[in-house]
Amino acid sequence: MPGVTLEAVTKRFAGGAVAVDELSLEIADGEFMILVGSSGCGKTTALRMIAGLETPTSGTIQIGDRVVNEVSARDRDIAMVFQNYALYPHMTVARNLGYPLRQRRMPRGEVARRVSEVAEMLGLEELMKRRPGQLSGGQRQRVAMGRALVREPEVFLLDEPLSNLDAKLRVQMRAALKRLHGRLGVTTVYVTHDQVEAMTLGDRIAVISDGKLQQLGAPQEVYDRPANVFVAGFIGSPPMNLLRGRVRDGSAVAGDLVVPVPGVPDGDVYVGVRPESLTPPRNGMPSLGFEVAVVEPLGDEVIVHGFVGAELVGVSADEGDAALVAANGHRAEAVACLPPRDRPAEGSTIQLGVEPEEVHLFDAETGLAIARG
Amino acid sequence: MSAHSATGIAVHRRPSLLKRLVASDHLAGWVFVAPAVILIAVFAIIPIGWSLLLSLQANNLIAPAHYVGLANYRALTKDAAFRSAIGHTVVYTVIFVPVSVAGALALAVALNRKIRGIRFYRLAVFVPLVTSTVATGIIFLWLLDPTFGLVNYVLHLVGIPQQQFLQDPNQALYCIVAMTVWSWLGFDVIIYLAALQGIPGDLLEASEMDGAGKWSTFRSIVLPLLGPATLFIVVWSTINALQLFDEIYVTTRGGPLESTTVIVYYLYQQAFQFFNGGYGAAIAYVLFVAILIVTLLQLWVGRRRVYYTS
Amino acid sequence: MSVQPAVSVPERFPRLPDAQPSPRRARLPFSAWHLLLAPVAAIMLVPLVWMVIVSLETRQQATSFPPQLIPSSIHLGNYSAAWNAVPFGQFFVNSLIYSLATVAGNLLFCSLAAYAFARIRFFGREVLFVVLLATLMVPFQVILIPTFLIVKKLGLVDTLGGLIMPNLCSAFGIFMLRQFFRTLPIELEEAARIDGTSRLGILFKIVLPLSLPALATLGIIQFMWSWNDFLWPLIIIDSQKHAPLQLGLSQLQGAHFTQWNLLMAGTVMSQIPMLAVFLLAQRWFIRSVAFTGIK
Repeated sequence: MPGVTLEAVTKRFAGGAVAVDELSLEIADGEFMILVGSSGCGKTTALRMIAGLETPTSGTIQIGDRVVNEVSARDRDIAMVFQNYALYPHMTVARNLGYPLRQRRMPRGEVARRVSEVAEMLGLEELMKRRPGQLSGGQRQRVAMGRALVREPEVFLLDEPLSNLDAKLRVQMRAALKRLHGRLGVTTVYVTHDQVEAMTLGDRIAVISDGKLQQLGAPQEVYDRPANVFVAGFIGSPPMNLLRGRVRDGSAVAGDLVVPVPGVPDGDVYVGVRPESLTPPRNGMPSLGFEVAVVEPLGDEVIVHGFVGAELVGVSADEGDAALVAANGHRAEAVACLPPRDRPAEGSTIQLGVEPEEVHLFDAETGLAIARG
Repeated sequence: MSAHSATGIAVHRRPSLLKRLVASDHLAGWVFVAPAVILIAVFAIIPIGWSLLLSLQANNLIAPAHYVGLANYRALTKDAAFRSAIGHTVVYTVIFVPVSVAGALALAVALNRKIRGIRFYRLAVFVPLVTSTVATGIIFLWLLDPTFGLVNYVLHLVGIPQQQFLQDPNQALYCIVAMTVWSWLGFDVIIYLAALQGIPGDLLEASEMDGAGKWSTFRSIVLPLLGPATLFIVVWSTINALQLFDEIYVTTRGGPLESTTVIVYYLYQQAFQFFNGGYGAAIAYVLFVAILIVTLLQLWVGRRRVYYTS
Repeated sequence: MSVQPAVSVPERFPRLPDAQPSPRRARLPFSAWHLLLAPVAAIMLVPLVWMVIVSLETRQQATSFPPQLIPSSIHLGNYSAAWNAVPFGQFFVNSLIYSLATVAGNLLFCSLAAYAFARIRFFGREVLFVVLLATLMVPFQVILIPTFLIVKKLGLVDTLGGLIMPNLCSAFGIFMLRQFFRTLPIELEEAARIDGTSRLGILFKIVLPLSLPALATLGIIQFMWSWNDFLWPLIIIDSQKHAPLQLGLSQLQGAHFTQWNLLMAGTVMSQIPMLAVFLLAQRWFIRSVAFTGIK
């Protein structure tokens, strides 16, 4: 199984819009790579270039050690699952599954054998004579997967394959996908805007914003050490609280939160604290006052929305740009995730603490993470 | 298409120009459109230019032609027969278009409801549409026969004296109008019916809840929403009316006393009976320009008065 | 989040109110509209009914006054007489060839061109498309004389080839199919590309099977047009051997204009195929006509 290599790939559309900007990415043999980002960030364009549905403006794309820039989609030996499945409405499930094989002039017997193999793997045997219009969303999704798998392609591309499913099915299919990849070991590139999918499925994830690669790494690594403010705000749910602050004499200060950060030079910073890092303060923990506005009990935890006495830095991930938005003055909205036994009363003001090593610092000017000693 | 350099880094070499052209969309596109483009070029685009050229020639369609400048057009301005052909065409069009539009609208409204026998009524209105123009001509010739025709018989029953119809220079053109309305009405009705179906029912309900009666709902809601359909039918009927030929050829051959010689029939006579190819081409171009002007005028008026949803 | 519909093929054709009988057919009401509709229906049908009646009468019955509304005896002999008076069988065959060839030509050539105009980006596409569309504005009469001269130069005057050739591909068909192709979900074509289908394969295996409504519409419009075409055959065909039905009918009229019973029998015969197609495929027919109005 070959890997996929993107080298400084840029896609500029006719109107001049740059969808993908100097994207370099090495996807190893058999790796499950996630391209994650908000809509319009260029992740789908990147995938379509790997598929051969778009031609890069510059840069090279390699599958294995073959440069495929000029190779048409049909000769790339890749398979793709489309967001809306793209099942051929006029063909039965069986014919849909067999289509890519028939196109490659595979002998009938072999086609039948492979189709039934895939049908069995995905539990489609009962549906073979139906047409896509007679299938449920989950069934269509499985047929789309089957049509891609039946090829036994070198690279498997998936474009938001679960986004049209309801929540419950999505959880099931996520697990199924992971099992499938474990079994087949095909190099897989998976595009999603859903960070749960990104965290759970990928060997590595590539966070993309504005056509540029923001961070590449194992999911836990990206979660633990976000490379910049965008990644910090994008990965994690609810998103990280980002407060405007400054470092003075080895201490980072944001509102009433004072965190010792030895060795960090003085300057303006953003102080990032994940909601799940906030706890009732234990002895000597840096802490901040938290005015509780709304409490959402989820059973296993409570999500607490409120205000802290610092200036908030919002990362508008939904709009797909990393623009920093300063919120209202010195009273900023913040979120904390607490265990149910620590559920505060709405309207109360509580103290919440955070371990110093769980505080993230970002340079206020560049947005890049500041290394800590 | 790749080669490894000494360092093992793939070098990307572009394929030859020819290879890329063959694989490119440009060639594929032109190959796909080629048959259509050739056919339309030979049988539409070239003839359009040639026709203009012909109209500047004396050409009997057989012997070599020679250039005469605008002589054909100048002759047209002095040709009394041509002028009367224009007159007949205008009279025909001015009656045919409003009658068929109003008739089709009334019929479509009547047919757009669930009442007993509606399928039969619709069928009756649509059937003349598939009757060929030649057959229509023959049938009406016999229906309107002064001596044995059914129509005169019916008139006789109600005490109206025998009429000459297509043989009377004062009646023939109006008979042609009646005949063509009969044969084209179904077309307009279908288009109006489709447009009526496109009017959302809740609009009508809203109007009724606002206190409007059936007639005022029709006038203030339905009629404006049928605007685009009306405009289309008016433009389409006008173009067809100005090009009237088949029915004339089959029934009156332009008679009696040239009273039904319309422009295209005159063109046919000039070009294919008297072999004045150049003169016929000039008539065709005058007709073309006239149709173009009338159509643009209608669209211009229509654009200001017709309300398009979305 | 709910389950969203996957790719579906849009239905872009206007539907007229269902003319099919519903399974449980409730008796529809009478209404005042019958007072308008009944006489109109009578006026629309009388000419056709009268045509059939006269075609069954003797010459004496046909030319009697008052007319015999219900013939005292039925004369099917008019039909065989009309059939033998002119080569009717030959007319039928010619019309069938003319209609089917132009339908086939339009479906094939218009599909190819429409697909390229809808989906392939090639040099000169926009200009070419506008030029083709512009030809739609030119009335046939304008190009009648040069088209005749071109066919004459090709040596095809008075042949079926000359009749067919100029009508093999229409800008209208290209325009209509292009509009339809553009409504098909492009992901299907992309999926097919990835699955290893060539451009031609995509057109024939994916696009055309999904475009049957549009193809049927174009086919019906073209068939109706060719079957009833009169002016072009009148110009290009001289001999009875190559005359299509409408021209043949007009020749019958020219030769036997006083034998109304015979003439009506011929007219009935000439209209039966179209009428049969209409009655069998009424829904499609009406849709096709409605489509021309909704561009």
